[in-house]
Amino acid sequence: MFSEKANKHADNCRFCWMCRYICPVGLQTGKETNNARAKGLLVSLVNRGQEFDESYAGTMYECCLCGACSQDCKTGFEPPIFIREARTEAIVRDVLPENVRMIADNLMEKGNLYGVSSAEIQSKLEKLLPNRPQKAGVLLYVGQTALIKAPEISEALICLLKKASVDFTVLYSEGQSGAEIGDVIGYVAETITAAKNEAAKINTIGAEKVVVLDPNVARVMKQEYPVWGCDINAEIVTATAFIAGLIADGKLSPQKIDMKEVTFHDPCKLSRDLDETEPARYILKSMGIEIKEMFLNREWTKCCGTEIVKAHSPALGALIADGRWGDAERIGAACMVTACPGCFDVMGQCVPEGMKHYDLFILLAEACGC
Amino acid sequence: MEFRGYMVDMICSELEDIVGSDYVSTSKSETSVYGVDYFWVSRMWADKGMEPPRADYIVRPDSAEQVSRILKVANYYKIPVQTWGGGSGSQGGAMPMAGGILLDTKRMNRLIEIDEYSMTITAETGMIFQTLENYANEKGYSLMHYPSCLTCSTIGGALAHRGIGILSTKYGKIDDMCISMEVVLPNGDIINTLPVPKHAAGPDLNQIFIGSEGTLGIMTKATFQLFEMPEVRKHRAFLFKNIHDGFQAGRDIMQKAKPSIMRLYDEAETVSIIKKVLGVDKKGAFMNITYEGDRDIVEIEEKHILEICRKYGGEDLGSEWGEKWYENRITFFYPGNIMDVPQMYGTMDTVCTYKNVEKIYWAMKNAIESNFPGVRFIAHFSHWYQWGTMIYDRFIMDDPPSDPSEAIRLHNKIWNTGVRAAMENGGVINDHHGIGLKLGRLMKEQYGPAMQVFDALKKGLDPNGIMNPYKLGL
Repeated sequence: MFSEKANKHADNCRFCWMCRYICPVGLQTGKETNNARAKGLLVSLVNRGQEFDESYAGTMYECCLCGACSQDCKTGFEPPIFIREARTEAIVRDVLPENVRMIADNLMEKGNLYGVSSAEIQSKLEKLLPNRPQKAGVLLYVGQTALIKAPEISEALICLLKKASVDFTVLYSEGQSGAEIGDVIGYVAETITAAKNEAAKINTIGAEKVVVLDPNVARVMKQEYPVWGCDINAEIVTATAFIAGLIADGKLSPQKIDMKEVTFHDPCKLSRDLDETEPARYILKSMGIEIKEMFLNREWTKCCGTEIVKAHSPALGALIADGRWGDAERIGAACMVTACPGCFDVMGQCVPEGMKHYDLFILLAEACGC
Repeated sequence: MEFRGYMVDMICSELEDIVGSDYVSTSKSETSVYGVDYFWVSRMWADKGMEPPRADYIVRPDSAEQVSRILKVANYYKIPVQTWGGGSGSQGGAMPMAGGILLDTKRMNRLIEIDEYSMTITAETGMIFQTLENYANEKGYSLMHYPSCLTCSTIGGALAHRGIGILSTKYGKIDDMCISMEVVLPNGDIINTLPVPKHAAGPDLNQIFIGSEGTLGIMTKATFQLFEMPEVRKHRAFLFKNIHDGFQAGRDIMQKAKPSIMRLYDEAETVSIIKKVLGVDKKGAFMNITYEGDRDIVEIEEKHILEICRKYGGEDLGSEWGEKWYENRITFFYPGNIMDVPQMYGTMDTVCTYKNVEKIYWAMKNAIESNFPGVRFIAHFSHWYQWGTMIYDRFIMDDPPSDPSEAIRLHNKIWNTGVRAAMENGGVINDHHGIGLKLGRLMKEQYGPAMQVFDALKKGLDPNGIMNPYKLGL
């Protein structure tokens, strides 16, 4: 059963294609089911008696939940509301396609998309910061994508925090934040329980600030945790904003890096949901790097694919990433910088010949002599 | 049944062999989605939870060569082929009414070339038009084709129904903007129109396929002219006592200047839509005008426009409302602002010379309002030429019959009445939405014996009649 809110949004989107031009999936696949109107139409047809079968469910997962459609809507409708509920519905009706079932099972059983055990995650965290302080003013929340798929970013960030003499620690028992599971099974009891557990663990550190490396996790902590009743007794700050602050305060003094024809890919959760577009640009500027902007930039950024899509449909994930690389190539960029572990991993799978791919924190660590 | 099943699978295998199995679908979710376009009837069916018309195969080719092979298969088995671009057409032109193949062009979305010296851009026709515009913008140019469906229609869709954008008064319709095309004929041959549209080498092939709505072939590549971004784009709004005064002003302006936008709203639209979206709470006929280009030329145009509007008693509302209209130019079409089911509605756009415009407006208004109680008629005049203008007239019925068949019969009757009133008074069956399924039955009335030209083209190019059956009256 869809909520009244989801039905309202679906019924308004079902005959409206206006946001199609900004959908990173539909633009790449050309499939008519890959736009918000199609998904709204399918939800509305289910409400009018059509069967919600596996093909309907599969369609609902061919979406990054990047929010570009909501950003574009002049009358305020938000397709992710009914798409996320349709994913819950797919689980309730037991019609999940096999490729999605695999990652849903991983999330439910292991707490992450990749099926990595919690012991292995703890070991990765212990290696990142051996002998961590039990208490600190700042808690660095790394997130599972960075830990498992892009550990070099976590290492760079930790190096930068040390260099700036930040009093920080990490949580060895980092688990499921609710970000990934919320996108795969919806905002249901399992998601909220996971988020509450995580909030409780974070609170044991007693930090004043929680610096979150993964923008997807930061968004959920900042925007969904209060709604779900998961109170974190600290300020949630994105890693980009925190590091930009360290540079502004003179605690980090990066050297100039000689890079030409550089573009910056705004992570969609950071730019659209958290309204944060400038700290990453400030960090690049601090290294003397001039940005050649892609046509779709800042809050109009085009999603590069997401870890979730890559996990259940690798070919589709690569196709979406390829679309973003195309945007960079057309403006004559030679390098792309990202500021999100998910973007780094997803974009890294299909770097076009002759182009280079960097993570913002790794670049900065190099510029700071880490 | 078993034999039929064998042939269904055989055709599916052949199609998969051409495009790959990932690009042929028979799934319920896909056929449902391709069974509803922007046409009121398909929306009404969906709203009532009725079974949509379903294609047997959704096929998504990647190239003109693949389109060619699909059409050869379709001809062999004599199965229908309906072409789908954005699906955002209001005339039911993309609806798979005959089953068979629905060919979605959107994988053919490559940018081929931007020729900055000749000021042209070439792309495959499955590209969303806004994407093409973005690519032009990246280089500092524009196609100046801004229809309300800019963000959702494809290049091919714009060409297939002879589309128009809000800047048409200065830059022209899509048929003025297109330089050349690649077309796959129904027999699978891939042809090119001449490299330029102006010549003395017989009739213009472009204009045979533009507006053909998928009945004579499938356009796969197109070249358009590019424009430099204007140095200035200025907006202004006026309020006339009535539409007659607005027409006079509009006609005179077109003899002296070349505005990019000029839209005159009748009294009914001024107090409804203009008030709702822009907040202009005034009685009369609202007109917004935009003029653009080099600053010095625009200044001269502005002088003429102000003088002419003053001459016909137009109250100068300044630039604010014109700017607001421009900012909200697409907002009018979003859910909550645009008509939607369960209402019954339709846009009966027509075009005519100045001599007939008021006659047609009143004939259509009277025909609709006097014959169909409970039906409202509103209009604006939004694309102007030196010789005439178009009338964007709409009917709205808030409480149509709940029985779908009864509603469709009434819908068709209203359309027949309105369009015939236009045609009888010198108007044309449609200005820029096309014919599709909705108006095909009226094409013979519009063209009379001239229809044999289209019939002969259809017969010659598509002897098996597989291309988009029941559309365009062919």
